[in-house]
Amino acid sequence: MSFDVKHITYRYTPKGKTVLDDVTFTIGEGQITAVVGPSGSGKTTLVNVLSGVIPALEQNGVLEGELDFGSDALVSVVSQTPEDQLFGYGVEDAIAFGVENMGISSEEISDRIEYVLDLLNLQYLRKRSVAALSGGQRQAVCIASVLAMKPDILIMDEPVSSLDPNGKNMVRGILNQLKADGTTVLIVDNNLDWSAGIVDKVMGLDNGKIVFDGLRDDFFRDFPLQETLGVTIPQEVEIYRALSSLTDDIGMFYNMRGAERELDKIFEKRTEELTDNSETSDDPYITVHQLNKFFEDGYHALKDINAAFPKGKVVAIMGQNGSGKTTLVKHLNGIYKPTTGDVRFMGESILKKTVAQISRNIILVFQHPEHMLFEQTVRAEISFCAKMHGLEFSPEKVDEVLKKYDLYDDAETFPVNLSMGKKHLLTILSVLFSSSDVIILDEPTLGMDLLIKNQLEDIIRGLRDAGKTVIIISHEIPLVFRNADEAIILNKSEKIYYGTIKDLALRDDIFEFINISLPPVVQLSKRYNFDKVCFNVEEFKEEAQKLLGKRGEEE
Amino acid sequence: MRYLTYVDKDTFLHKLDPRTKFVFLIVMAVLTSVVKTAWALAFLLVFFLILWISAGVMKEMAFLAKQLKAIMIFLLILWFILGMFQEPQVEGPVFLRTEVLGIKICIDWYDIYKGFASALRLYLMVSSFFTVLISTNFSEIILGLSKWHFPYSLSYGIGLVFQVIPIVISELNTIMEAESSRGLEIEQCKWTTKIKNYLIFAVPLFFRVLNKGHAISLGMHYYKLNFNVKRTSYKTIKPTVRDLIFALVTLVAVAGTIVLHVLFYIPLI
Repeated sequence: MSFDVKHITYRYTPKGKTVLDDVTFTIGEGQITAVVGPSGSGKTTLVNVLSGVIPALEQNGVLEGELDFGSDALVSVVSQTPEDQLFGYGVEDAIAFGVENMGISSEEISDRIEYVLDLLNLQYLRKRSVAALSGGQRQAVCIASVLAMKPDILIMDEPVSSLDPNGKNMVRGILNQLKADGTTVLIVDNNLDWSAGIVDKVMGLDNGKIVFDGLRDDFFRDFPLQETLGVTIPQEVEIYRALSSLTDDIGMFYNMRGAERELDKIFEKRTEELTDNSETSDDPYITVHQLNKFFEDGYHALKDINAAFPKGKVVAIMGQNGSGKTTLVKHLNGIYKPTTGDVRFMGESILKKTVAQISRNIILVFQHPEHMLFEQTVRAEISFCAKMHGLEFSPEKVDEVLKKYDLYDDAETFPVNLSMGKKHLLTILSVLFSSSDVIILDEPTLGMDLLIKNQLEDIIRGLRDAGKTVIIISHEIPLVFRNADEAIILNKSEKIYYGTIKDLALRDDIFEFINISLPPVVQLSKRYNFDKVCFNVEEFKEEAQKLLGKRGEEE
Repeated sequence: MRYLTYVDKDTFLHKLDPRTKFVFLIVMAVLTSVVKTAWALAFLLVFFLILWISAGVMKEMAFLAKQLKAIMIFLLILWFILGMFQEPQVEGPVFLRTEVLGIKICIDWYDIYKGFASALRLYLMVSSFFTVLISTNFSEIILGLSKWHFPYSLSYGIGLVFQVIPIVISELNTIMEAESSRGLEIEQCKWTTKIKNYLIFAVPLFFRVLNKGHAISLGMHYYKLNFNVKRTSYKTIKPTVRDLIFALVTLVAVAGTIVLHVLFYIPLI
């Protein structure tokens, strides 16, 4: 059996733009299909059509075409914010909510709850409250609540966008189980880096039209299309793309196991151990001294933290959710006051200053841009920090920045109406007009497609070149390694590493301890006889070229 | 402090049938509206203190007292000032009797008594509501109301309010932190600026709440919630011996309060 989407065309108003244009495809039963496309390509509208939100809840639009799913097919959705979708105080209440709405007997509800808890290995959570769950656990419970309804198609809308590596692993594990169970799943996400090993098919949308509908491996071979759609692909695929231009001796790979299998054919394994003598800079903007934080409920959120954030460097703070990363940066800009210890900017304690006063030197950009946007236009929003800090700014400079980052056409738009990625970019751009020497970015890639992520990396490099310090919290480890000079790693409220990123790349023990994987370029350049450890694909390609050149000469 | 939302504990109060707690709330609302005698109210406060200690929610109720401190002090001062210009209405000690610019001033015990009784009544009224709120989660509220044959749409709406209120407060706090991080002064500023800032915060808060509302309505659609279709229930509730004991103890406390009210009745004039 298959589910056919036939010639779907949709406009939000009769005379409005065509958001979906003659979309026709088939969802194979028991398959996992990824729907990809840049912001504004029509992915969310497609989810709304497939799930029946259009026309049930949004009735002003014009919908044409047909969904051939069978008369009583059930399509349900797991959204990117499970907290908005879990209706119940306890895990059992939340899972039962959907099945209770179906009017089936208490015994059957009970059977279905047991089934999904067993299927997803969630029995250990059943007596917990939803509020006490981690992000990954909430997403897992959300999936369980939808699965209990026995949907014919399960749609997952950016299911890991706000999860840490542990959460991503949990969702990946669940998807593997669903695949084995024969569940039909549609993943709507422009990030394929976490799901590459699971999806069977990829469907690409651009400007409301289907531009690709085929097997995963075929998609991974179509490099220009990946770039056009702004899809974040696994770094392994990027490596394959780079190396396939140098040699024909390797086959396609999209995960570490495949990469090792293929690269073993062309590179010799490293024989000598790598060492690193790089040292951290000793000219800091911010220093943290014996910082301890106890919250009202007695939780010891930070334990004896000492750290320094040097001038003109990018410092990454890494760790799983709950390790204390956000708590630490909220001390750096004065939102939290330490229980004991001190935070100093240029040697002077900031503890007696207000957050607004500190922002003249240290500014924190929050995870969710919607907490920060309240001006009437994008143009006004971008200069908000300058106005707050009493700084002069020229309209020409504002226009220049808007043009550079593709926001000029949206200059008079209400900021809240921008896509999530653009909203986030806007809040980050506004700090360019501030007087701050230290810019803290907390999960800055949230909602960004690859094109906007590239712009973000450009901003980070620009700030560093201007002598500013950038502190970045991110679960996107490849991005961190591409941009950071130094790193702090937190685990369970304690600092377990502070040093250069080059030194950190050699510390497999730390990454194993915190259960985070090093980027593939780092792992592979360490595995093979490269002259140095690589932090991005360009470096990796150069080093590979050298080795392949040597091999060619020898032959 | 999580703004007096449900406190997850495993005490007898938490385990009670929600309907028992709803009845308790109604009885206490009536009792604190009727009883105005300080001794009776003090006795009721002792009953509540025992209840809170045994339910492990003393910290939360102390927090509530702190939040109500300003209005309770206002009541004390109000009754004191009003009483200063009146002759003693009830027999008892007079602390000061004088005349200033031809105005007779008399400070007696009754001026203090009235303020004390009013403040205590207010605290007991509010705290009886919060005693139920912090020991009953929103799923239990929905279940309890449904079992009383409230329409599911109404029960669900009430439960949803208690689910959403803490989220909205948390969103407001985050917005305040985010805006001050970008340079908006909210700590060292005049009260007029503070009011203006709250208006500024209202814009992103409004959109966040709209987004949440939209996300919740989508969630309800995904779960096929239809108020016209009869729902079934995974969990069931029924009163137990624990509810009976609680009801009896409450009855004794109510009786004691009424007796003390009658014995020591002094009209609040």
